[in-house]
Amino acid sequence: MSTYVYGITAGSDLALPDGLTGVGEPPLPVRVVRAGELAAIVSDAPEGLRPKRRDLLAHQTVLGEAGAAGCVLPMRFGSIAPDDETVADVLAERADHYRERLQALDGRVEYNVKASHVEEAVLHRVMAENSEVRAVAEANRKAGGGSYEDKLRLGEMVAAAVKAKEAEDGSVLQQLLEPAAEAVNAGPESTGWLANVSFLVERDAAARFLEAVDRAREELPQLEIRVNGPLPPYSFVDPGPAEHAATAAGDADTEAG
Amino acid sequence: MTVVPAQQSGGGGGSSGLYDVLELVLDRGLVIDAFVRVSLVGIEILKIDVRVVVASVDTYLRFAEACNRLDLEAGPRKSPGLPDMVGEITESGARGKSKGALSGAAQTISDAFKQAREEGGEAEERPRPRKTTAARRKREEEE
Repeated sequence: MSTYVYGITAGSDLALPDGLTGVGEPPLPVRVVRAGELAAIVSDAPEGLRPKRRDLLAHQTVLGEAGAAGCVLPMRFGSIAPDDETVADVLAERADHYRERLQALDGRVEYNVKASHVEEAVLHRVMAENSEVRAVAEANRKAGGGSYEDKLRLGEMVAAAVKAKEAEDGSVLQQLLEPAAEAVNAGPESTGWLANVSFLVERDAAARFLEAVDRAREELPQLEIRVNGPLPPYSFVDPGPAEHAATAAGDADTEAG
Repeated sequence: MTVVPAQQSGGGGGSSGLYDVLELVLDRGLVIDAFVRVSLVGIEILKIDVRVVVASVDTYLRFAEACNRLDLEAGPRKSPGLPDMVGEITESGARGKSKGALSGAAQTISDAFKQAREEGGEAEERPRPRKTTAARRKREEEE
């Protein structure tokens, strides 16, 4: 039976609630694999595991429960070891690295911030700020909406202006929030939010960070800003040392991370 | 001593909160080369429900229409001789006209969401509709 791994923590910090279950249908019991001072939070790996909503939520929930007691390095969803022994071997082999990361992230949580434009608000702003766009829009309207080409021309101008506004508002938002965070990391780029940024925040300073978000909402009313957190520090665990070795990146990145 | 706030979710409920962090669960976090990872085929779910300005004819036309409507809204009573704009006008009278145009706008928006949903394909669960849509609907009702 292979082993599903949720995260790595210091063994002394570990206090999982009784009866905690994880991925699988029915959900499989969560248990702990220890090696020295470190512990991995694991369960059996279900056959044919897929990134289904229920299992993603289970992964997230287990990390949330484990993280309540102390720092946990969250695994990416779907990490499966051949058996518990392999998990223990990995912990022992890279103990120094994981201990360092746990120390660096202790007492810290991740907040992910996503922003998109409220379309009507940003169009208003674009029209207000750009007389050229206004002139073309006015001309089109007088011509009963304008020809197909007229509409395309206007639309293209507006699209360019909105795009510029996306970049501008995205960076303003980040600047407003950065001072309230210890570290910043861009979110995965596959999505098209104008801002998708994760912030590492001290647990005790979370209120200050959320106040900064509220201020940003006031300053940038054309944005819809979504905040998710506190989360396990997904975006701030380094790649493991083996991955560094593979890319010949050396220790520089590990130190910088 | 600061009180740690409960989980904040811009989306409101727990599941839409999960939806917003799916990409982190799937794309960030520790990776250990001695472990294998499950296949992530079919999770284009991450790419839906996203507002990006795509350089396309459809986007241009949509923006052009939207700008026409914006002006309508900014000065609804200023030009009685205004030619018909967009959408089907189902009511008579000047007030009916502006309402018709706004309903058209709402329709366009809901079409856009429908399209996004369909493009989402395998998505198992939809996030809560955006607040902005609700706001528009509300305004529409108030008109």
